[in-house]
Amino acid sequence: MSSLKTRGFYYKIYSLLPIIILFISVLNEFDFNYLNLDYFSFNFPFILIFFFTIKEFKHFDYLLVFFAGLINDTVVGMPLGVSSLSYILICIATSYFRNITIRPNPIKDWFYFLFIISLLNSVNFSILTLFFSYKLILMDYLVNTFFTFLFYIVFVSLFKYYLKGLDD
Amino acid sequence: MASSRDDFIIAIRSAFLKKSTQQKFSLLTLVFISILVIILSNLDLRVIKYIKIGINELVYRSSFVVSIPENLAKNTFTEVSDYTTFFKDYKKTKDELNILKSKDISSEITQYENKELKELINDYISSSDKILAKIIVDHDSPFLKSIIINKGSKDNIKIGTNVYDQSYLVGRVIEVNFKTARVLLLSDLNSNVPVTIAPQNVQAIITGRGDDFAEIKYIKQGLDNEFDEKSIVYTSGTGAIFKSGIPIGKVRIEESDKSKKFNVEFYSDFSQLKYVFVEVVTTSEINLETEKENEDIQTPINAKLKILEDELKIIEQSNIKFKDENENLKTQINELNNMITKFQGEILDQKQIINQFDLDKNELEFLRLNLDYGHKCRKSFFNNKGYIVGTTEYKSCVLNRGRINE
Repeated sequence: MSSLKTRGFYYKIYSLLPIIILFISVLNEFDFNYLNLDYFSFNFPFILIFFFTIKEFKHFDYLLVFFAGLINDTVVGMPLGVSSLSYILICIATSYFRNITIRPNPIKDWFYFLFIISLLNSVNFSILTLFFSYKLILMDYLVNTFFTFLFYIVFVSLFKYYLKGLDD
Repeated sequence: MASSRDDFIIAIRSAFLKKSTQQKFSLLTLVFISILVIILSNLDLRVIKYIKIGINELVYRSSFVVSIPENLAKNTFTEVSDYTTFFKDYKKTKDELNILKSKDISSEITQYENKELKELINDYISSSDKILAKIIVDHDSPFLKSIIINKGSKDNIKIGTNVYDQSYLVGRVIEVNFKTARVLLLSDLNSNVPVTIAPQNVQAIITGRGDDFAEIKYIKQGLDNEFDEKSIVYTSGTGAIFKSGIPIGKVRIEESDKSKKFNVEFYSDFSQLKYVFVEVVTTSEINLETEKENEDIQTPINAKLKILEDELKIIEQSNIKFKDENENLKTQINELNNMITKFQGEILDQKQIINQFDLDKNELEFLRLNLDYGHKCRKSFFNNKGYIVGTTEYKSCVLNRGRINE
């Protein structure tokens, strides 16, 4: 009985892993910035949210994604709500993409991801510079978008293993 | 055509409004909430301010806990790389320390002088306490360069408080919570600092570049030609945001074909910060010894009179001291004069003795020669060319060894 209970507990933790990782990544800014590689940066939460919302993963609550955005803003020091809006816009984009897609294709997903993150980073950049008078370097955003796009395919293969493990 | 448009609208509506079984809110609601949060967070309302402080405290602490494993890995990596260059660094540091020790003395003197001068002009004294703060969150974001420290309004930290690494400026506080605060680093694009560039004594503003350098801006044309790589940059204190005279970095010249850029290389390495010093400034008027004195110096004229009185006292005291010294010197001169007179008497005696000795010596010589040549000079029956004994001619004849002058 107890072993079943324990197994249930581990299963729950395992199924909540994406959302836990999302919170860890926004709290920890998991992006290898301390390596001090010139221009190198990528946005892990974007990859995570895009993948799990496009797969309509049932444990990936939009409200929690919204809170993750608030935490990210607090940690990074941006105006509260900016990241939440970006994350929710990703959810909307993936939801729309799901609705119009009959046959899913990873490559199409990948390039759709590029389009979405470019759009979101542009929105972010515009909001911060126009409404909040932040001084930002556009090149940093472009490089960030590029590396996020490149890393998507790497992380997707890892996430697929995770989903496979969940099915087993 | 119409059907594809309908499909698009249906897909959009579904994306915005459809809630799956697990979702509590539709995405449209969350979009509105996000926009509301953005607007509310920028309103200067007390309630929102307190909510923000609460969220910040909670998130910063959580972030610190979550970052522990990554920080551990990062620190291990840094420590290993540090050990490889340990000895070289040690020797370099030792040399630098010796130089700094000597500089520190002159710096202390300058500080004392500065304090004295401030007291003379009845200025305010800013007694600053530097408190040590630990960096709890430093994610080195590519977009915004800021750190979170574990000191907040509880420790008397305010917005604008200067933050140091040793004695080098690293930034200023831009957000204060109860037990945490956010520090905007000098390397951030949004950071502007009024500076003085020495020894050229040029005023400028430096702006962060988002990397390890800052750019020197707003310099009068022509003045930048005077800069070289030995020029140092420190805060000018203009605008009263930063204290004056805090070292920031050295000038680095970036030359390209068309232009010449002047950057500042920070003394402090912002990526290696673990602890920083936060300057808690308490401004107070100069404390005087007694209340009466306090009352006396209420007006500037009284203050000046007080200073003059003090100066007079000092001058009188030094006069008395000089008089005493003068008396002592006079006595010493008299004693020395006496000694000189005594010595002169002694010299005279010595001279007399010497003269006497010379006379005796001549007499002895004459007697000796007289024995040998006296018969040649003495007038006698056989020597009628001689002289009578006792005369000067006789004496000179004896001394000339019997030769008679014709």
